[in-house]
Amino acid sequence: MKSSDYISAPPGTGNPARREPWVVAFIAVLGLVVLPLMNGAVPEGSAFHLSTFQLGVFGKYLCYAVLALGVNLLWGQTGILSLGQCLFFALGGYALGMHLMLMIGKLGQYHADIPDFMVFLEFPKRYPSSGGLPPHWIPFRNPLFAMVAVVAVPAIVGAAFGWLAFRSRIKGVYFSILSQALTYAATLLFFRNDFTFGGNNGLTDFKTVLGYDVNLPSTKRALYIASAVLLLLVYGFCRWLTTTKFGLIQRAIRDSENRVLFSGYATAHFKLFVFVMAAVIAGLGGALYVPQVGIINPSDMGTDKSLEAVVWCAVGGRGSIVGPILGAIGVNALKSYATHSYAEQWPYFLGILFILVTVFLPDGLVGIPARIRSIASRLRPAAQPTEPTPPAAP
Amino acid sequence: MKPIPVKTIGAALLALFLGAARAADTVKVGVLHSLSGTMAISETSLKDVLLFTFDEINKAGGVKVGGKPYMIEPVVVDPASNWPLFAEKAEQLLVKDKVSVVFGCWTSVSRKSVLPVFERDNGLLFYPVQYEGEELSKNIFYTAEAVNQQAIPAVDYMLGEGKKKFYLLGSDYVYPRTTNKILKQYLKSKGIPDSDIEEIYTPFGHTDYQTIVASIKTFSGGGKACVISTLNGDTNVPFFKEFSNAGLTSENCPVVSFSISEDEFRGLPAKALAGHLGCWTYFMSIKSPENAKFVGDFQKWLLAPKVTGTDYTVAGVDPKGRVTCSPMNLSRMGVHLWKQAVEKADSFEVDKVRVALVGQKFKGPAGEVVMQENHHLVNTAFIGETLPTGQFKIIKTIKKVAGEPFSAKFLGAN
Amino acid sequence: MRAFRVPRLLVLALLFLPLLAVRADDAARGKLVRAILSEDAAEQVSLVRELVAADDPLVLQSLSAWRLGNLYLWSPTDGTPAFPFVLDGAADTDGKSGALRISDGTALKDASGQPVRVVVSELTVADTSAKLRKAIKTVLDLRAVGDPDVRVRIDAIVKLGQEQEAGYLPDLERRLAIEKEPTVRRSLAEAIAFTKLGGDDRAARIAAVKSLSDLRAINSLAYLRKLRGAPATVADAELAKAVEAALAVLDDYERWGNLFGTAFRGFSLAAVLLVASLGLAITFGLMGIINMAHGELIMVGAYTAYVVQNLFRTWFGTTGAGPDLYFVAALPASFVAAAAVGLVLERGIIRFLYRRPLESMLATWGVSLVLQQVFRHIFGAANVQVGSPSWLSGSYVVSDVLLAYNRIFVIGFAFAIVGLTYLLMTRTSLGLQIRAVMQNRAMASALGVRTERVNMMTFAFGSGLAGMAGCCLSQIGNVGPGLGQNYVVDCFMIVVLGGVGSLPGTVSASLGVGVTDQILQPWLGAVMGKITVLAGIILFLQWRPAGLFASRGRGLEG
Repeated sequence: MKSSDYISAPPGTGNPARREPWVVAFIAVLGLVVLPLMNGAVPEGSAFHLSTFQLGVFGKYLCYAVLALGVNLLWGQTGILSLGQCLFFALGGYALGMHLMLMIGKLGQYHADIPDFMVFLEFPKRYPSSGGLPPHWIPFRNPLFAMVAVVAVPAIVGAAFGWLAFRSRIKGVYFSILSQALTYAATLLFFRNDFTFGGNNGLTDFKTVLGYDVNLPSTKRALYIASAVLLLLVYGFCRWLTTTKFGLIQRAIRDSENRVLFSGYATAHFKLFVFVMAAVIAGLGGALYVPQVGIINPSDMGTDKSLEAVVWCAVGGRGSIVGPILGAIGVNALKSYATHSYAEQWPYFLGILFILVTVFLPDGLVGIPARIRSIASRLRPAAQPTEPTPPAAP
Repeated sequence: MKPIPVKTIGAALLALFLGAARAADTVKVGVLHSLSGTMAISETSLKDVLLFTFDEINKAGGVKVGGKPYMIEPVVVDPASNWPLFAEKAEQLLVKDKVSVVFGCWTSVSRKSVLPVFERDNGLLFYPVQYEGEELSKNIFYTAEAVNQQAIPAVDYMLGEGKKKFYLLGSDYVYPRTTNKILKQYLKSKGIPDSDIEEIYTPFGHTDYQTIVASIKTFSGGGKACVISTLNGDTNVPFFKEFSNAGLTSENCPVVSFSISEDEFRGLPAKALAGHLGCWTYFMSIKSPENAKFVGDFQKWLLAPKVTGTDYTVAGVDPKGRVTCSPMNLSRMGVHLWKQAVEKADSFEVDKVRVALVGQKFKGPAGEVVMQENHHLVNTAFIGETLPTGQFKIIKTIKKVAGEPFSAKFLGAN
Repeated sequence: MRAFRVPRLLVLALLFLPLLAVRADDAARGKLVRAILSEDAAEQVSLVRELVAADDPLVLQSLSAWRLGNLYLWSPTDGTPAFPFVLDGAADTDGKSGALRISDGTALKDASGQPVRVVVSELTVADTSAKLRKAIKTVLDLRAVGDPDVRVRIDAIVKLGQEQEAGYLPDLERRLAIEKEPTVRRSLAEAIAFTKLGGDDRAARIAAVKSLSDLRAINSLAYLRKLRGAPATVADAELAKAVEAALAVLDDYERWGNLFGTAFRGFSLAAVLLVASLGLAITFGLMGIINMAHGELIMVGAYTAYVVQNLFRTWFGTTGAGPDLYFVAALPASFVAAAAVGLVLERGIIRFLYRRPLESMLATWGVSLVLQQVFRHIFGAANVQVGSPSWLSGSYVVSDVLLAYNRIFVIGFAFAIVGLTYLLMTRTSLGLQIRAVMQNRAMASALGVRTERVNMMTFAFGSGLAGMAGCCLSQIGNVGPGLGQNYVVDCFMIVVLGGVGSLPGTVSASLGVGVTDQILQPWLGAVMGKITVLAGIILFLQWRPAGLFASRGRGLEG
């Protein structure tokens, strides 16, 4: 596959890309400062007040955007299409979710020390020595351990799978299908009650995060800000990566892995590193996602969810770094709106949008200005090319 | 010619007045059922029956609070079989649309995902589908069958029929696992040894039941065996096709299914299922004036589905071959119970309605139900035999079974 | 006209019931009424047992009604004692029905002599206990031993045998003496031996064990295993020896049966996988289109089968040719329907994406979302019923192993379509062109092959195969808007495992996965079995990254 022809140029070469830092700074201020203030400082009833509910929904979109950046790091920047990113997202979510479950304490239905599902599945009989808590749950009482696990678990699983796959030079669509198989197997495994992670119901009914009531508006705001900061950091990291030599090799692998290999680079190592990084990014996103939506269950790691994340990337514009963020937030906002206002018809909107974008906008939404420019310049070859369109920003 | 314009103007004015009155006097009510994705197959019917019930109540004068009638105005959303989206939609209904009550959810996980939302925003949810229990929230009313209103009566019936071996077959998720766990304990207390109980699970969407049916064939070889199935709707088709092709029948090895109601039956091979059993608190075949009215009115409504009073036109309804079933009946009764409680409390406020709901009685198609203090119903359980027509023939009626969510309580009693 | 005949017959029969009653066995009726009204459970059972000899149709009808809770008690208001009655025919739309008195078989009348229409839901049911129901069932079974229908006969005999009740022996032996049908004879012999095994006569028991072993009575295995451990058996050396010998034979028999059964089930699952993924092996394997809508093309085929079935029912009636022959027409129809959808897809979307295979995945995923919703709107969100023709229902039994007809059909069908596809690819000029275009599009084009047209045909052909698969799978699984989702992941796995672009690869991958899955299932259960197979696939691809049969075309290298 030759993919270089239809991917927008790397940042720093085009006119809109030069404006990108300013756009990002503007959005960052809007997202990090203005929105939380509109929620916290503007009194309720004012036209500028943002409800906690709305803020929570935005927080969820931000986590999706983090996930999309991970997908993009793999696909848009390195040419590896993984259909298993949601597995890592969910693993990060489960890792933090386990801690949150243990923090419920005696507030559950059974007023027991262990989570409710362990009580009615008779875990005390299976693990009598620890009062019903399976041994691998015990360290998750410690919030620091849980935070380390949020990073470590996806990293380890990603490294193991990536090592196996890249070592034997599985690539292209083979890798995609293989990652799908992995995800599918993991979903089935987590569905099992015996697997000690709550089966199909997953982990839910959290009460506190680090001692703060999870339902308080202030906690929600803090979680939102944390998500925004995480997104900004991940954005910064991805962007920085493109300016390094590493980023150059990444793009080289994307465009022609064999040539890079023949030039003496151990592409497998590069790919493995990127894969693990993407897994960690997804895991972090998942960890912040869980306290905000209040549930994590195996269907969140399903193959269709991973595919959806890839679609966000494509809609926003893979290859660029703002694109996936735009895609994740845009598609999910559309979905939120349409499932409420067009409850019966929304799958049509979404399906047709995906088709149109992939067929007619290979560069995604961020590619629209360039498209218009190229059409305009073709229409008026003699005229001086002006800039009639604003830069790609929401 | 003269009187006509006067009449028209009068009618227009009246309509305007009524319209204005209508717009002012409505109460918003949320409908939270998946209309797309994997669960749409079951939940779409519940959306339809809910809208029908709203229409039924509106036509009868709406909900009366403070001496004024309020028309029910539905807010329908699609959580798309996506559990985090369930939570988001629930919050949207409560916070943005400010609905007085929500009717919704099918799977346990969807209920689990919205439960914190309802508790946080102090909403009110009516849950209509048979479930595994082990839960009690002050903000949820469970019109659904608890395990002791469905699974236990069914197993009792099988024991009464002289069955000695039980093959517990289920989809691999929480409801079957928990129900089977309770049933195993119950069977043991009735003297069935472990060696005569088999417990098998299959993944969601499983399509290959060859091995399992072969093992049931062996299991039932010595006679006196039955299958207790908690397979979810979709996987029943390949299971029953395989089952009947293997020469197993309701005569030599009956299957009691907890997830097949009349509505699921529409997509099932009728011949293969004939004679097998179901256990619910309602069957369409119940003979009572209330049921005849329910079924008749619903089928009439489906031909022109619309919620009067708020002019809500319902999309995507196919009236052909539509039936009623237990989750549908329980959905409808939930709406009526809520209406009565609101009128008793004379307020839409959740805290007042919640108190008024306890002890509320409603004479439904399957007899009178009473809302208990534990937010579950006292209801009648029926055992039915499936007929090739897709209906159930009622073979046993167990009156006044009090729903109890916690298995420890009803198992302890034995 | 046909539709009218049955009710009329029924009406006639009901009209004649009172007449039959004239010749009826009053003693039997008296016994039945006494049994129903009796308060003593033991007396009830013994009275019911005596009814075995009764020939009165009303008694038998009442017995079976009693067992199912359809026998009611009438307590007259004038103080006369309560009496039992049954319903006369089915209830009408108001839930009302006529009633027949059991004691004399006459219709119930009110004071004015008019027949009473009772409201079924308001009646008092004559209650039964489990013991009583069992006794009634036994009486009905004993009568069914003489039923003209072979299946009913076998079922009743097997049931009676399982009771191990010495009292039934005379009936069973009497039947054995006159029975001609070999399958029924075998059941009778087995039931008699099994009953004797449960008795006290030591010599008879040992003989029974021997005969069970000779009969390869696999259903008695569980009982014999229990018997082996029982203290009474251990104490009796001769019996223990006989049981051991029988168990050795039966265990062996079961083992071979299991092996054969697993092999068959493995082949049949392999055939299902192969049928489902063959279309994908063309569109994805040969053309490189990552067609996520493959599952929905299968769904199109399955719904076509549904539509054809309904058309046949309206044209040819709901019995006989209609439901039996529709399937023959549905197969080609589903091919055409899915191929047409595929053609539209190719022209409308996919042709823009030949150079960007990974993106074809996203566009086709959108297509799958839209198609699912379209079908949900047209046919409703619920599953639809696709019936099996009678020649695809039931199974063929070879030494206690079931070979279901629909499974045999799928295996045959898999052979047929693989064969045809192979011939098309290797023996026709279209096949030659397809291969040429897939191997080197530019070169093929330069040599005068109309590549656009070949692409179109190939994709339509692959889609059509998917459609036929859907029609075929409607005989095994459910038909609903989510049908495709159940298969699509498996299909991709099969094609990749086999080696993209290799037909023999797809065949062997299906076989490998199908058989492995069926071997693992009895040990690990369905869920863990599936997980193990997936893990196996992942590990296998480490070893052979390009699948079982790596193709050397340009394929998806890049």
